[in-house]
Amino acid sequence: MTSKLENQIFDGQPVVAIQNEHDRRTFLRSALIVGVGAGFVGYKVGDPTSGTRASAWAGNLAKPSAKGDLEILNYALTLEYLESEFYTKGVEASILKGREADLVAPIRDHEAAHVQAITATIQDLGGKPVAKPKFTFPASTFKSRDKFLATASTFEELGVKAYHGQVTMIDSVDILGAAASIAGVESRHAAILADLTGGEPFPQPIEANLPMSAVLKAAKPFIAG
Amino acid sequence: MQIKRKNLIRGDVAAVPAGVSLGALNNGFLWAKSADFNSDVDVLNYALTLEYLEAEFYRQGNSAGLVSGKEADYLDAVQSDEESHVATIMATVKKLGGDPVAAPAVDFGDAFDSREKYLTTAHVFENKGVGAYLGAAGFIQDKAVLQAAAGIFGVEARHAAVVGNLLGLEPEGGVYMGVTETPLTKDAVLKAVSPFLAGAGAMGDGAAVTL
Repeated sequence: MTSKLENQIFDGQPVVAIQNEHDRRTFLRSALIVGVGAGFVGYKVGDPTSGTRASAWAGNLAKPSAKGDLEILNYALTLEYLESEFYTKGVEASILKGREADLVAPIRDHEAAHVQAITATIQDLGGKPVAKPKFTFPASTFKSRDKFLATASTFEELGVKAYHGQVTMIDSVDILGAAASIAGVESRHAAILADLTGGEPFPQPIEANLPMSAVLKAAKPFIAG
Repeated sequence: MQIKRKNLIRGDVAAVPAGVSLGALNNGFLWAKSADFNSDVDVLNYALTLEYLEAEFYRQGNSAGLVSGKEADYLDAVQSDEESHVATIMATVKKLGGDPVAAPAVDFGDAFDSREKYLTTAHVFENKGVGAYLGAAGFIQDKAVLQAAAGIFGVEARHAAVVGNLLGLEPEGGVYMGVTETPLTKDAVLKAVSPFLAGAGAMGDGAAVTL
């Protein structure tokens, strides 16, 4: 997952326009507040034997906190907004037929439900959900089945890695469970889209993850203003 | 906007009102009872038992000559994933100073009589596995173990979706199991897999899995 790849998919055009400066700063600042990016020293994906909690928290990592949870939820909300808008437009474009259309329509519904559920959770916790960003997908994204599904596959794999990158950063066990219950659905989406696009539904035995900083780096070219 | 749950959550026609939170939406959300697990090693040995079952299930199923082409490729990859999970979890238990449970003796009955039975049983295993990991995740203390368990959980969800699609099941309720995954308690999971354990509570009765 590189910004270069997404540049190709989106013809290099910005896709995300955060609605106001507060939300933009919140989104971009999140990585710093929760302290991801430094990485777990000595910890490799797929090798849980290489680190313990003590070593995982060594270094400059911020410890999980309620405030950090809100930042993570707003980060997830922004990504879900992106997915929700993307599938809404893609399904409206009616470029899929038969079984493919039947498999993709529920994904649109899931992403919309995720937006709503995360928004409500942030409110329940006394936080302020980010407003829906303005998205400007190039028209070509929805003109062909191949491009739509390839883009969808990219988004889903990025989404899975984004959720898994936050697993150890979440403070509340309830939020962890709720976020995981969404992440599992994103994994299902990713596998089905890989199947539809001739990709690899099971790229590795254990889901890979990306820290927020890496996801934001991939998304940054598409955040206008 | 209201989310119509029709066809979203196993045919339940109730609508989820706007403002519903994750906790309410995920109504069946149940962490396993605290009494179920005393340590990360307990959680891992529970997961290891399920992974032994899955690995052996696919080893036997893939040897039965029931599938071919892309299906066979996919199921080979699934078997290899499950074997990797067994190895990873065993190593993790040892690293934590625990003793990995032995592989249970298994009996999959008529699951390999046909492609349909094989895939249908696989679909059950995968979805129970997804629920088992989600139900137990909250008990994991070690962050690296949690990261790996969540990562395995996601891959089981991939398996479940693809097997459901190979069977041509309804997208909602067959490929996807709702807006969110549903956690399962340890009791519910063990009850679901008990028909495949040769002899009641036969864990440790024999090493059926060869890695």
